Amino acid sequence: MGQARQPRRVQTYDGELGTAVALAQEGDETAFAVAYRIVQPGLLGYLRGFVGEDAEDVASDAWLEIARDLGRFKGDGAGFRGWTATIARHRALDHLRRQRVRPRSGGTEQDVLDLPSLHSTDDQALETLSTERALELVRGLPKDQAEAVLLRVVVGLDGTAAARVLGKRPGAVRTAAYRGLKRLAHQLGVEGQVAGVTDETSRTLGESK
Amino acid sequence: MGERLSGDGVPGRRRVHPDDAVSGPWDRRDDTALETVLAAVLRGGDLAPEAEQRAVAAFRAARGGGAHRARTRRRDDWRLPAERRTGRPVKTTFAAVFASLTLGGVAVAAIGSAGSSTGGGGADRKTAHPSVSAPARPGGETSSASSGGAGPTDGSAAAQDTEAHCRAYEQVKDRGEALDATAWQQLVAAAGGEGKVAAYCAAQLARATTSPSRSGDTGKPGEGAADAGTGTAGNTGTSGNTGMSGNTGTSGNGNPGNDANDADGADNGAGNGQASGGKGQ
Repeated sequence: MGQARQPRRVQTYDGELGTAVALAQEGDETAFAVAYRIVQPGLLGYLRGFVGEDAEDVASDAWLEIARDLGRFKGDGAGFRGWTATIARHRALDHLRRQRVRPRSGGTEQDVLDLPSLHSTDDQALETLSTERALELVRGLPKDQAEAVLLRVVVGLDGTAAARVLGKRPGAVRTAAYRGLKRLAHQLGVEGQVAGVTDETSRTLGESK
Repeated sequence: MGERLSGDGVPGRRRVHPDDAVSGPWDRRDDTALETVLAAVLRGGDLAPEAEQRAVAAFRAARGGGAHRARTRRRDDWRLPAERRTGRPVKTTFAAVFASLTLGGVAVAAIGSAGSSTGGGGADRKTAHPSVSAPARPGGETSSASSGGAGPTDGSAAAQDTEAHCRAYEQVKDRGEALDATAWQQLVAAAGGEGKVAAYCAAQLARATTSPSRSGDTGKPGEGAADAGTGTAGNTGTSGNTGMSGNTGTSGNGNPGNDANDADGADNGAGNGQASGGKGQ
């Protein structure tokens, strides 16, 4: 699993983010809003994949805590991503715990089973991937894989930071992210030509549908 | 069908060993493309302006309430380990320096008392410094003419050894590695306990860098005194003067803890002891 596989786009703003956070820590309200706008998309994407439709509420809770504890934070832009992701994760776990006490109807597992048919070409599969479909697929992954993929790809954390957020060893998180991505690629039919057996099986299944 | 699909995927995944497969069994290009698309799709969507306003309002309230002056907890510190070290507060640095000076003084005092107690019995320099290994100091019994040159090597052979261990320890400790057994045992023995290694090493290294000649000095005064008591090592000359009472030499060593500078006190004490030993002979 390569180290340098982070989506460049996500981390482009880390310098800017670091500056904004430092200013916000000195009381600059505008800078805080800038930091919010840089961090929130990834945080929200992570929470959508984690808690589903309540993501916005959980994110809102998380931001209350972030705003309150900002003075405690020490680190740069990348560190701020990790710190905020940790806070968001704790709020998400609280949320899920509350949900378990009062269970809701309808789970995600069932939705994932109704996958649309595989696309004919790789490019099409990725080009036409909708947010809903991507969320379904990610939420269909085993929990550790889903979280690892979300933290690394969507939040933009490196392996070490993602491991710290999850409280696991970096190696375990890299493995989980790798397996999750491979599974997603498989489900989207964008698996490369190298993995012959599984690839062929999936195509056969795809055609037989 | 999705179920069967993912079921089929399992054995394929198991066959893969992700840790050693850098490029993985499936195409790197697809991998990156998938990640890029996933990131774009899952990070997409409009941000609700109300949510931002709520967050900013919370920020304002926290700032007004003084919450931003709260202490940084361990979980709030996301600096890289290297930054964390350089960002160490002045207080800690001062404490480390102070501890190293104190411990350095104690170590010197220990050398001095060991030297004087046996030095009183006989003039043999080998028995006077039992802690220094004999083969490490070939020039130990040379005449006074060479005493100046022999000083640093003879007195600090063991110290240099320890120093090397300490440097090795400094380098590996942050990576969670251990020294090899022999070196570690020696270091623990020298420090007087496993828990004291860090402080001991700090002291050793501080001494080595701040006053590289000191360890040589402490080894020397006995010889200088035994020869003529004139003290070729400069600072022992004064100790020779204070040692006029002679018989108080050992009691001087017994309490080196005169708070101001025990290191110097110990030096003097060592000089006294040696001087009296030399006279007694």
